[in-house]
Amino acid sequence: MAVLTHAGSTSYADLVSASRRVAAFLRRERISRFAVVDHEAEVIVPLLAGAALAGVEACQYPPADAGEVVDLLGRLGHEVLVTDRADLAGLAERTLATHELTAQAEGSDDIVVATDTPHLVLTTGTTGAPRGVRHDWSRLLRGTPRIKSGAGERWLLAYGLHQFAGLQILLHVFAAGAVLVAPAPRRPIEGLAAMRAFEVTHASATPTYWRFLLAEMRSDGGPVPALRQITMGGEAIPGPLLGDIQRTFPQAQVSQVYAASEFGSTGSMRDGRAGLSISVLERGDDADVAMKIVDGELWIRSRTGMLGYHDEAPVEADGWRATGDLVEVTDDRILFKGRSSEIINVGGVKVHPLPIEERVSAVDGVDLARVYGRPNAMTGSIVALEVVAAVGADRQAVDAAIRRACEDLSPAARPRSIRFVDSLLTVGDKIIRSHTGEH
Amino acid sequence: MNTSPAEIEQTVVAFLTRVKKYPADFHAGMSLAADGVGLDSLETAELSATLEDAHGIDPYSTGIMPQTLTEIQAFYDTVPTEV
Repeated sequence: MAVLTHAGSTSYADLVSASRRVAAFLRRERISRFAVVDHEAEVIVPLLAGAALAGVEACQYPPADAGEVVDLLGRLGHEVLVTDRADLAGLAERTLATHELTAQAEGSDDIVVATDTPHLVLTTGTTGAPRGVRHDWSRLLRGTPRIKSGAGERWLLAYGLHQFAGLQILLHVFAAGAVLVAPAPRRPIEGLAAMRAFEVTHASATPTYWRFLLAEMRSDGGPVPALRQITMGGEAIPGPLLGDIQRTFPQAQVSQVYAASEFGSTGSMRDGRAGLSISVLERGDDADVAMKIVDGELWIRSRTGMLGYHDEAPVEADGWRATGDLVEVTDDRILFKGRSSEIINVGGVKVHPLPIEERVSAVDGVDLARVYGRPNAMTGSIVALEVVAAVGADRQAVDAAIRRACEDLSPAARPRSIRFVDSLLTVGDKIIRSHTGEH
Repeated sequence: MNTSPAEIEQTVVAFLTRVKKYPADFHAGMSLAADGVGLDSLETAELSATLEDAHGIDPYSTGIMPQTLTEIQAFYDTVPTEV
């Protein structure tokens, strides 16, 4: 079994056959690139694999309404749209039904595998409109021979396959020969239900997703899933969350991955501590992924990373790139302070939101917290806070506790505005810190 | 939102109490700055956000720099009750 959902299961053999049929169809129709708007793993996998076999560039869009799809089709120059959604018919020059493409009668066992195997991944758009990131499957697959057999493992797909992190999970699970458990939609509440129903053993998600999942578990009081491996990535991991996860799932190994659509995965940290070991700075020139710190920012050279952005000049594929992640070295760890784009300028003082968010998240009665810069006529910005309180918590008491917890921060870094909200704005299960809070 | 002088006074006094700068002899004409209550620039920025949250608009964001509670109340006298 390769893919397991509430609707049924799909075997590896079924996926291979469907992929070959898709490849044969794409070749026959002389399609060189296409967009796809569907999200079920059992149809997306053969579409992506068939495209790779045929050397066709596929690009899966995120769940989007018709207007957003029109915008993406225009910006990314897609003439062919593959979808089963009736509301998207006629938006592209040519629309193909997903179910017809994957159910083609004719495939071929001896299809010649393409040498160029392009793939386009959209960024999550946490800092603006999504950008198309050009990859090649040969680079994406470079690390898979090192993946050990995972027979018997059941991995939760908490990301969409349109996200780079989702692709990483897919590649890992299939290289290991494990089972991909793919609930739909991929919200924490469905993820928790799938963990319990399908005996999920491994799960990888963003810290924000794990925070929501813990809150769901506290709320429903149901059984704790018997996870053996928990992975977090996609955004900086607050220390208190790491502790919460370890206490809730004492039998699970907790690891962190540091990856991005542009430079790929850099490997995982399995010691259960926040941040990266400084040993990652000493990997040498032969490593697929090397790192260095330049003026407090992490830089990466990746041989598995992107070739460039859509409609832009290619980047130096194996060259050094700034990540936008600000870090500091404390003892033997590289700790993340936040994104350079998230820095709050308070009267000329640069404030990093993440350490404040960590502190607030550790306060009793706080389920979730978001720190952001709120425009202010006096100081340009002030540090502002949105808080989702735990069920039954006394908001006044939580407000006072937050202020006490932040008393010893520098005056510029103390939250000057605290709002209690029902939910936080997220994109791709990541908290949006650059948003000013006017939603 | 209510912007009556009494409501504005309540917001300002609650704020000053929370930041521990509410003098026993406080009165509406007392300077909020260093020569009176002693709010620094960040505390004034916080008061600005507090007033906006409570009353939908605040004088500082419109470019006015009120020095006293009386001047803040006067600002709200000039805006419509419902904003």
